[in-house]
Amino acid sequence: MSPGQQETRIPRRPLLWLATALLFTVPPMFGTLAPWVPLTFMTALVAKFWMERKGVRLRSLVWKAVFVAVTFTAIILSYGSLTGIEPGLSVFIILMALKILEAHTAREFRRMLMFGWIVCLSGFFSSQDLTVALCEFAAFALLLTALIQFHRGSSRVALWPPLRMAGKLLIQALPLAAILFLLFPRTSGVFRFRVPFSNTTSSGFSDRLSPGSIASIASSTDVAFRAEFPDGAAPSLGSMYWRGAVLWQGNGLEWQGGAPAAVSGATQLPAGERIRQRITIEPHGERWMFALDRPFEAPAGAVLAPGNCLRGERELGSSRRYEVTSYREIHEGELRGDERKASLQLPAVVSPAVRELVQSWTSENEDPRAVVKAALQFFRRGGFRYSLSPGEYKENALDEFLFHRRSGFCEHYAGSLATLLRLAGIPTRVVVGYLGGEFNDIGRYFLVRQADAHAWCEVWLPDRGWERVDPTSVVAPERVSLGFNSFLAMQAASGEPGAATGQVAALGSSTQRQFLHDIRLAWDSAKYAWDTRVLSFDAEAQQSFFTEIRMDDVAPLLIVVRTLLILAGVIAIYAAWMRLRSRRRPDPVKALYERFCRKIARLGPERISTEGPADFAARAALLLPNESEQIRQISSDYIALRYSLGPGILLEHFANEVNAFTPHGLRTPLAPRG
Amino acid sequence: MSGRGIPFLYPTRHLAGLLCLLAAMWYAGASQNNPAAYSLLVLLTAAFLVSIPYTLFNLTGLKVTVGSVKPAFAGQEVSIPVEIMNEGRIARHTVAISVPEAGPAAETIDELSAGKASRVTVRFPASSRGEHRISWLGLTTVYPLGFLRVGRRVGVERRYLVYPQPKGDPKLPTHRRRSAQSALEMSLGEGDDFAGVRLYVAGESQRHIDWKAVARGQAIMTKQFATESQGLLYLDFAALPFSDPEQRLSQLALWVIEAERARRPYGLRLPGTEIAPSAGEPHSQRCLRALALFK
Repeated sequence: MSPGQQETRIPRRPLLWLATALLFTVPPMFGTLAPWVPLTFMTALVAKFWMERKGVRLRSLVWKAVFVAVTFTAIILSYGSLTGIEPGLSVFIILMALKILEAHTAREFRRMLMFGWIVCLSGFFSSQDLTVALCEFAAFALLLTALIQFHRGSSRVALWPPLRMAGKLLIQALPLAAILFLLFPRTSGVFRFRVPFSNTTSSGFSDRLSPGSIASIASSTDVAFRAEFPDGAAPSLGSMYWRGAVLWQGNGLEWQGGAPAAVSGATQLPAGERIRQRITIEPHGERWMFALDRPFEAPAGAVLAPGNCLRGERELGSSRRYEVTSYREIHEGELRGDERKASLQLPAVVSPAVRELVQSWTSENEDPRAVVKAALQFFRRGGFRYSLSPGEYKENALDEFLFHRRSGFCEHYAGSLATLLRLAGIPTRVVVGYLGGEFNDIGRYFLVRQADAHAWCEVWLPDRGWERVDPTSVVAPERVSLGFNSFLAMQAASGEPGAATGQVAALGSSTQRQFLHDIRLAWDSAKYAWDTRVLSFDAEAQQSFFTEIRMDDVAPLLIVVRTLLILAGVIAIYAAWMRLRSRRRPDPVKALYERFCRKIARLGPERISTEGPADFAARAALLLPNESEQIRQISSDYIALRYSLGPGILLEHFANEVNAFTPHGLRTPLAPRG
Repeated sequence: MSGRGIPFLYPTRHLAGLLCLLAAMWYAGASQNNPAAYSLLVLLTAAFLVSIPYTLFNLTGLKVTVGSVKPAFAGQEVSIPVEIMNEGRIARHTVAISVPEAGPAAETIDELSAGKASRVTVRFPASSRGEHRISWLGLTTVYPLGFLRVGRRVGVERRYLVYPQPKGDPKLPTHRRRSAQSALEMSLGEGDDFAGVRLYVAGESQRHIDWKAVARGQAIMTKQFATESQGLLYLDFAALPFSDPEQRLSQLALWVIEAERARRPYGLRLPGTEIAPSAGEPHSQRCLRALALFK
């Protein structure tokens, strides 16, 4: 566009492309902003389609002022202020809506396009989920299309060519983008501005047990993390205990952290199978991280907390990928004083009935193993029922649970067993985490959902160290061996009350809905790929990537230079290809005809540049009566080949004619001299 | 006229906007350690980089042909007919053609399919009287993204005339001049009495061509007839009452047009030049040319 054209009206089609692109940015806004903001934005976009058709735009300054006043008041009412991330974004979106309603010049179009890209970007502030990402990338591509359409002027076809061009650009851009993404040095945490985590209410894992106050738990399908076993040796689902946190401080059914002050100094000896895992964890805004029971060493950016659980050094505000090694067993020599004390601490009030129950076990056999066995026997034979909606336990929760209602989920069982074993003098603690997962055979990984959250106990056996005891496994063995979803499905099939049937239908065992199941797996694989390849590739991941490709000791500046060189190389390849395609293509017909003209010219008649082939043929035939027949034939063939549609003379035939044409008195070009 | 100028590449001011946007994306990505924001950043950067060859080669393989440029009066527009042929295998978009020597005005070809040609007329205001020269055309393009502009010079060699701007009193001078040779006091052209023959000038009416002479193999001649003249009209530079020569030339140019419109034969006298009275398109062109080139 020349400067003179800057102030012209925006052609309609690029504007419609722009509005379409921005429509894609609307759905992700609903999650973060007050719903009326995206609704207003969408209304403005839709109105623009209508207004463009009618040739109307928002001109009146009064109406603009009214619009701004009303919407800004609404923002203040919705958020309480105009500052902060969400109000700020809302203001931005509202102004963008206003701009769309009034825009009409080419200059404004460009500005809107730039703002459109910022809207795309801001979508990622709230969520980086694949669904959001797909919306933003669609918007991104359509904005590019709008820009291309804008520069195509009034080319006739509007729909496919700009889309194809944008697609071509993006596909060719992908390798470059990948290189930049991997190699361009990242910085992290240098800047102050951070968007607070607003979307981190997850309903699964929690680092405290309070089953009494929960009437029923909804099985959330939200993803907790995904795990790969690079060595291929995945444990069975029933033994796939993902360790999250250890709870020391118990009060009947209620349990919480209360870790001993000092970290266990006892030497730990790993034993049993060594299992390497690559885990991609969803952001949850807290510091806990997970690994198979029991992790032995913490990955970079995390520490091993007392009780062998992983803790991130920072809150997990974004998806993160880490590798961790666990062992089936870890032997510990002795239980240190404060640890022993913490794991034997008792609730303030214990009812006589409970004491009596524990005494009945210990009086038979003092050995901890026997006591544990007796306790499990109690749960197995005592008429206990696994239920996701056991109702609330308020006063005397432990007694009510153990002797009357006998209905609960893993937290009830783990909490009560731990309390009982402590009463029996056995050091016990509660471990919370996840159990099992769902194998995705497209992506070859296990998907662990919030619904897989689980709690179990660990008891101290003097000769072994901490050993896992899962009371749920004796009450509802299928819960442990089948995994949560299958267990729910089984319960639903057998008409067990308390199973959340709606959720089950969605999660259901998929023998009949194989297709949907496959789609779901594929979708989750895509999400996983997005999480592992893109979202978890932060500054730390980049550093370990540099280590992997042996570039970790290269200065950042040198890395930038190398990256740019690689990019320049790729672009040079593209450019060479483009050059080849844009070069002049010799027209074979024209070349042959010119050769024919040169042959005639040797005998005299030269074709004047303004002379048509028919005129020239007539003139030349007149001057060269001997060749007139051939000249007429070749010329008419040329005209037919050049200008007539449909099947006619073949190029090959024409070439033969021209090559065979030998004006009288001249040698053929191929004949040997002599 | 297919100059193969070397293309040159320079940023448009929108590139600054793009850089600001990329900086914003980088800031968002870095401050929040947000790889998704980085992904947008790298994708936009890569798309921009990949678009460079598209812009660069949007102008290669184009054959530019320039037609002859018709003279124009000062103050009016000069039109340069340009034909662009796309000899490559890919379509071209939004190629702007301008004559930088004459002004910024550009004409844009929106789409040029492979193997197709397109004609545009580049117009620019004719500034001053005289003979002007164009030595190159500028082709520029910003397609597809508009952040970079590629330009190419195409050498052409064209001269065109700008006649003086016709202005002044439209009324033709009435004075008559009787000369000694009364035989010349007739206007040649259309009349009743045969007065001789002269060479045929292309574009003239063919009614009076001496066909017999043509058949004899002689040059094409036009027969001339004479009528009693209304008096010979001489447009005389020296006779004008203005002091500014440009003003005089403008007046003469206007009179040439007026006399031509009235179909009256006229002659032109300029210092050092005299054009014998006649009429018709070639004559008026000759007179105007003399006015344009007057020094």
